[in-house]
Amino acid sequence: MTITARDRGLARCEACAKLSRLPLKNKQETRHCPRCNSALSYRRPLSLQFSWAYTLAATVLLIPANFLPILTVVSFGQGDPDTIMSGVVKLWESELQLVAAVVFIASIAVPVTKLVIIVMLMLVVQVRLPLSKQQCTILYRFIHFIGRWSMLDLFMISILVTLVHMGNIANVESGPAATAFAAVVVLTLFAANSFDPRLLWDLDHD
Amino acid sequence: MPVAAQRFVLPYNSVMTTASPIPKDLTACPDCDLLLHTDDATHDRQGHCPRCDALLWDVSNHARDIDFAAAISGLLLFVPAVTLPILHFSMAGQHGSNSLIDGVWRLWQESEQLLAVLILLCSVVAPLVHMLLAATIGLCQRLQRYPNLYPRWLKWHNWMRSWSMLEVYAMGIIVAYVKMMHDGDVAVAPGTYCLSALLLCIILCNQYFSEEQAWQCWEQRTNA
Repeated sequence: MTITARDRGLARCEACAKLSRLPLKNKQETRHCPRCNSALSYRRPLSLQFSWAYTLAATVLLIPANFLPILTVVSFGQGDPDTIMSGVVKLWESELQLVAAVVFIASIAVPVTKLVIIVMLMLVVQVRLPLSKQQCTILYRFIHFIGRWSMLDLFMISILVTLVHMGNIANVESGPAATAFAAVVVLTLFAANSFDPRLLWDLDHD
Repeated sequence: MPVAAQRFVLPYNSVMTTASPIPKDLTACPDCDLLLHTDDATHDRQGHCPRCDALLWDVSNHARDIDFAAAISGLLLFVPAVTLPILHFSMAGQHGSNSLIDGVWRLWQESEQLLAVLILLCSVVAPLVHMLLAATIGLCQRLQRYPNLYPRWLKWHNWMRSWSMLEVYAMGIIVAYVKMMHDGDVAVAPGTYCLSALLLCIILCNQYFSEEQAWQCWEQRTNA
């Protein structure tokens, strides 16, 4: 039988990782970490509620992010607004398959995969889907690792908008989808951060 | 027979040896809350959770000054990396260039304020504050003086580290470069070199900075 810190009445500080005793009685009173003075708790408070809220908000915002134009490249007066997907298709057609793949992975595959994985992890905790805890933890680490790479498209927009700013000859403008996409990225980062992976392992102990 | 010169011993060595990246006595796995003893683990370079394989600590004693050095180098490189042009673009006799800070300003002017603020945070503010705090924390440890703000600095350092995304920005430069290659002449400008060097400093600083050690330094000060 494995023993967790909570079984022994020890809480791990979220900020500095120090273990300290946290009594279960008189819950009203918040205890603070003796080392860094952060509020102590056994598990992240309201972890699932926050994760669900961020995930749902991000899912809704995926729609404007993918269907509104994100970038308009105008050269010599010609050019149409591009959505994320049509930008990828254009890159692919102009023999830039590798870049098209990078942009596709960063802007479409990563946010969608992240949302699917977070929903799956939360369902494992709430409906007890019979999935391996080890593999779920690996997925959790995976979404933490890849989350930031969705920012790629936004950085690229910032670079292109500044680089190609030549009046009538050539101009790049950002579209309304850019803000929506930025919100998706930030919300999925928040969702991944508020999910507490220890909830997965707690299922074995109840 | 000449005696080999003793290595110059700085005063912080005593503290640095008692504060270690390994938690004292007991720790809990951050990912699965397994309770673990750390007494007999001092010789392992890396500690992994036996149940979920989370990385618990990484001892890199051979390089205890690298994080400090990298933070200072990063700060020196910061201003040129942010203000110098990163790419040059020319097309039909017209020229354009961009730098990190220009990119934010341009978006702000195009009334994409939210996006501008996010990019400012991830590509300018977070890396700068992260390096500043890493250098300050390193200096505190070396001078053995811990101001009351030290715990707050450590928490901010952590937060800024998670929002510093220059490595993604570097990938963005590559994608933008390849994307514009066919439309005109794109050239790499000095800012890219500074940015690459800054990125290297940030990676080294992340790799060798031990949070647990920094917290233990603070704890020992308060106990003393």
